[in-house]
Amino acid sequence: MAKTIFVRSMSSNEIETDSAKIRSEKILEVIMSYARLDFSEKTIISDKADVYDAIGAGVNMLGEELKSSVVSLREKEQLLREIHHRVKNNMQIISSLLNLQTHNVKDRDFLSLITESRNRINSMALVHEMLYATTDFSKINFKDYTTTLCKSIYQSYKKPDMKINFFIHIPVNISLEIDTMIHLGMILNEIISNSLKYAFDTNEGTISVLLNQMNSKYFLSVEDDGKGLPLGFNQEKDGNLGMQLIHMLTEQLNGSMKMESSSGVIYKIEF
Amino acid sequence: MQVPDNCQIYDLTCYWTWMGSDGIGRTKVKPRAEVTITESMENSAAVNRLYTTKKFPLLIDARNIKSISKEARDFFSIQNRSTNINSFAVIIDSPLSRIIGNFFMGLNKPSVPAKLFNNEQDAIMWLKQYL
Repeated sequence: MAKTIFVRSMSSNEIETDSAKIRSEKILEVIMSYARLDFSEKTIISDKADVYDAIGAGVNMLGEELKSSVVSLREKEQLLREIHHRVKNNMQIISSLLNLQTHNVKDRDFLSLITESRNRINSMALVHEMLYATTDFSKINFKDYTTTLCKSIYQSYKKPDMKINFFIHIPVNISLEIDTMIHLGMILNEIISNSLKYAFDTNEGTISVLLNQMNSKYFLSVEDDGKGLPLGFNQEKDGNLGMQLIHMLTEQLNGSMKMESSSGVIYKIEF
Repeated sequence: MQVPDNCQIYDLTCYWTWMGSDGIGRTKVKPRAEVTITESMENSAAVNRLYTTKKFPLLIDARNIKSISKEARDFFSIQNRSTNINSFAVIIDSPLSRIIGNFFMGLNKPSVPAKLFNNEQDAIMWLKQYL
C-alpha cells in the first residue's frame, strides 16, 4: 500500500527565523574559535547588509584586532625572553672571564675575592635565568630561587669533607618582582657565603632560610648553627664588603636588618 | 552621492573617486565592495592625484561597503604616511556600514580630523571648515 507523506511548506516567517538561527550559530562558532585564539575562521557577510552582517563584520574586525594584539604580545614576550637570556649569558661570560684570571694564581686572598665576585654575579644571573623560564617575565618564585642559589653557593665553597645541610622553609606561593629578587639574591649570597666561609669549624652544620609574610611585609631570617661571631665583633669596624652590601641592599629594599649571635649567627631582615 | 559624468573620475576596483567642484574630494565605495590593502592603496593613489596646490578635505560614501580588512583600516588611518587630505568625513547608514565606520574611528584613530555622518549634507557642511 502506498504511503501518504504530508509535507507542510514553510511560511516566509519560518524561513526567515530558520535562516537567522543558522546565521547566529555561525557567528557564535566564530566567536568561540576566537576565544580559543584560533583566528582561521571568519563570519561570512551576505549581500543583505542587515543586522546579522553588521554583527558578523564586527566580530570579524574584533578578531583581526585580537589576532594582531596576540601576535604583538607574543613577539614582545619572545623579545623579553631573548633579553633575559642574553643578560644571563653575558653575566656568565663575565663570571668565566673572572675565573680565567685565577689560572696559575696561588694567592688565596685573590682567589677568594674572585670567588666572592663570581658568586655575586651568579646570584644576579640566576634571576635572569629563572625569569626567561617564566610566563610573565616579571616575578620569580622565591623558594625555587633560594633553593637553586643555596646549591650554587655551596658548590663554590664546598670542600671534600664538608657536609652542610640547608633547611629552606619558604611558602611555595611567594613570588617577587625582579628588582626585589636581585637585591634579596645578593643579600642571601653574602650571608650564606659568610656562613660557609667562617661559621663551621667542624665542616658540619645547618643553614636555615625562612620567609614569612604578614600583610604586605616579609620577614626573612637566615641562620647558621656554627660557632657564632667572635667576641667583641663590631659590624661597622670588623664587617667586610659583604656586610656593607647586606646593609646597603636592605636599605634599598626599604627594609631593616638585625643580626644576632650566640651559638650561631642569625640575620633577621624585614622588608 | 551621485557619481558625476562631467569631470574626471577614477574608476577603481572598489571606488569611484573624483574632485568636486566645491574643492572637496569625493570617493564612493562600489556596491558590495570588499576592501583590502590593495584597493585602499589604489584609492589613496587616486586621491593624491586630485591634489593641485593645497591639501583638501575628502568625503567618503561608505554606505555600500561589504568589508574592509585590518591592513586597509590601518592604511586609511593615515598614521606614519604622507597624504594630501587634511580631513575626511564618512557617510554611513546601514547597520553594516555603521559598524565598519565606528570600528574604523574607534580602533584605528585617524591622524587627521575625521567624523561619521548619516547624510551627505551634514558631512559637506562639516568638511567646508577645512577648505
